Amino acid sequence: MNNDQKDTGYGVVIFKEGTPPKEKRKGLFFFTVLSLIVLGQACYWVFANSVEPIILGMPFGMFTVVMLIVLEFIALAVMYAMEPKEEFGESDMGGDK
Amino acid sequence: MNWMITMAVIIVYLIIVFFIGSFAGRGRDSSVKEYITADSSLGFVVLYFLMGGAIFSAFAYLGGPGWAYSKGAASFFIMGYCALGLVPWWIWGPRAARAGKKFNYVTQAQLFAGRFQSKALSVVVAAVSILAFVQYITLQMKGSAYVFEIASGGRIPFWAGAAIAYIVVVAYVFFGGVRAVAWTNVFQGVFMVVTAWTLGLYFAYSLYDGPTNMFQQIAERMPTHLLVGPGTKMGYVEYSTAVIVSVLGFSMWPHLFMKAYTAESERTLKRTIVWYPTFAIFLVPVLFIGFAGIMQVDPETLGAPDRILPWMFANMNFGPVAVGLVLAAALAAAMSTQDTITHAAGSIFAQDLVQALKKEPQSEASATLWIRVSVLGFGLVSYLVAVFGGQTLVSLLLGSYGSIVQLLPLTAATFFWPRATKAGAICGVLTGVVFNYLIVLKLIPKFAGVHAGLQGLLLNILVLVVVSYLTKPMDKAHVRQYVEL
Repeated sequence: MNNDQKDTGYGVVIFKEGTPPKEKRKGLFFFTVLSLIVLGQACYWVFANSVEPIILGMPFGMFTVVMLIVLEFIALAVMYAMEPKEEFGESDMGGDK
Repeated sequence: MNWMITMAVIIVYLIIVFFIGSFAGRGRDSSVKEYITADSSLGFVVLYFLMGGAIFSAFAYLGGPGWAYSKGAASFFIMGYCALGLVPWWIWGPRAARAGKKFNYVTQAQLFAGRFQSKALSVVVAAVSILAFVQYITLQMKGSAYVFEIASGGRIPFWAGAAIAYIVVVAYVFFGGVRAVAWTNVFQGVFMVVTAWTLGLYFAYSLYDGPTNMFQQIAERMPTHLLVGPGTKMGYVEYSTAVIVSVLGFSMWPHLFMKAYTAESERTLKRTIVWYPTFAIFLVPVLFIGFAGIMQVDPETLGAPDRILPWMFANMNFGPVAVGLVLAAALAAAMSTQDTITHAAGSIFAQDLVQALKKEPQSEASATLWIRVSVLGFGLVSYLVAVFGGQTLVSLLLGSYGSIVQLLPLTAATFFWPRATKAGAICGVLTGVVFNYLIVLKLIPKFAGVHAGLQGLLLNILVLVVVSYLTKPMDKAHVRQYVEL
């Protein structure tokens, strides 16, 4: 089934042709991490639906939401730092090289 | 006497914004590309505020404290989705930008119309976006109107307050295009963030000896106010699905999507995404303001919860200059969103509706003129809705969110699924949007607290896939171009 689709050229294309396997693995890894953060944010009440303890002046629920935001920022920053440099060069967008 | 000083501060603020806006776009040619995308030349700081201004809206600045005040923990949802909203853009943004470069797109509907070879789709997408925009703008106008009402001690009526702020916005958007929007947002953004922190902390300390003490008192008096779940203002499923729909839908907003075409490089786009969650942290003190209000005024006296922020200032015995500054910041929040949306709505109406329905292609000058006229027309329509229609701020926004998220399957299909066909795309979007509105308008019951937009989205995907498989695939060489971006 999967092969059929590839042959016809109409199957789902997640990575464009010629993406190195290392890039694919990295992409999937960050996709998973960020999906988990979204899920954590959506279901924060499962593990932090309480007022106590109050940390940094915030009730525990609010603190958890803020911590998830910080975690997200770190994940994004790491992902940005790991971007292959040549991609900026080859994209013909002018760029601030 | 005091209210005159307060008003004077606000007027000075309006004049500054107007000047920044009018000078930003001067000396540029009047091409469509310049007007909508600033010829793809905007750098990181400007783009950051351009995106941020859209979210730091009256919704966050007035609606946020309103939610904290009336719904408690449900307001954490606002921070959650503000922070995550741009993450999916890592996937869409660069691809949209590359497609824009390659095929000369300036709006989102052009991308879909190009991929699915359908003018009808362009019209459908434009219509959905503009409907959602009207609701969104209406919200901002109400925000500005509250500000003027309170600043003048009720001397400036609702209709006039909404009009004043909007005339300034329409004026500089009309002349300056996206450059005016961007540079005023930088000024407004900095202004809002500084006032939000100062005041959130000030209230918590001056009224309660610090936020810790404040939350302890709230928890004592209203034990469920800081929790979600049964017996509180928002159920579990409701909270989770609202976050998910908002995160998925956020980057589908046509005005944000269009900003992919304004960035000077992919690096700039991605850096904006990385820093975007910091805007959500700025919301912490904004929510403090709402929580601080809980023991100060009871809901009956207040009227609408969205008035909590202006009310707090007006009743705290601040000097008139301080009150003026804060109210100007609230106005900045509303206006920085109004300008982005108005600009986008005008562009979409002219490019995706008028252009698509016209037989002959129009010249650059006449196209830009059409956009400007649409900016005016759109402003007028949303003004009339704001003055004559009545609903609370946040529920309005959630209603329109439900239809915007319906563009997600289209976007995903454009970039990842060559087999998707024109018929599938059109049927999918229509199903999703109609279903969402049927629930919002209470014509069919809501299922188990699941957000209406999410229910529509699932149906939308199903229809897209099934109809695509039932119809003939589109030209392979054409559709492959979009997945190989």
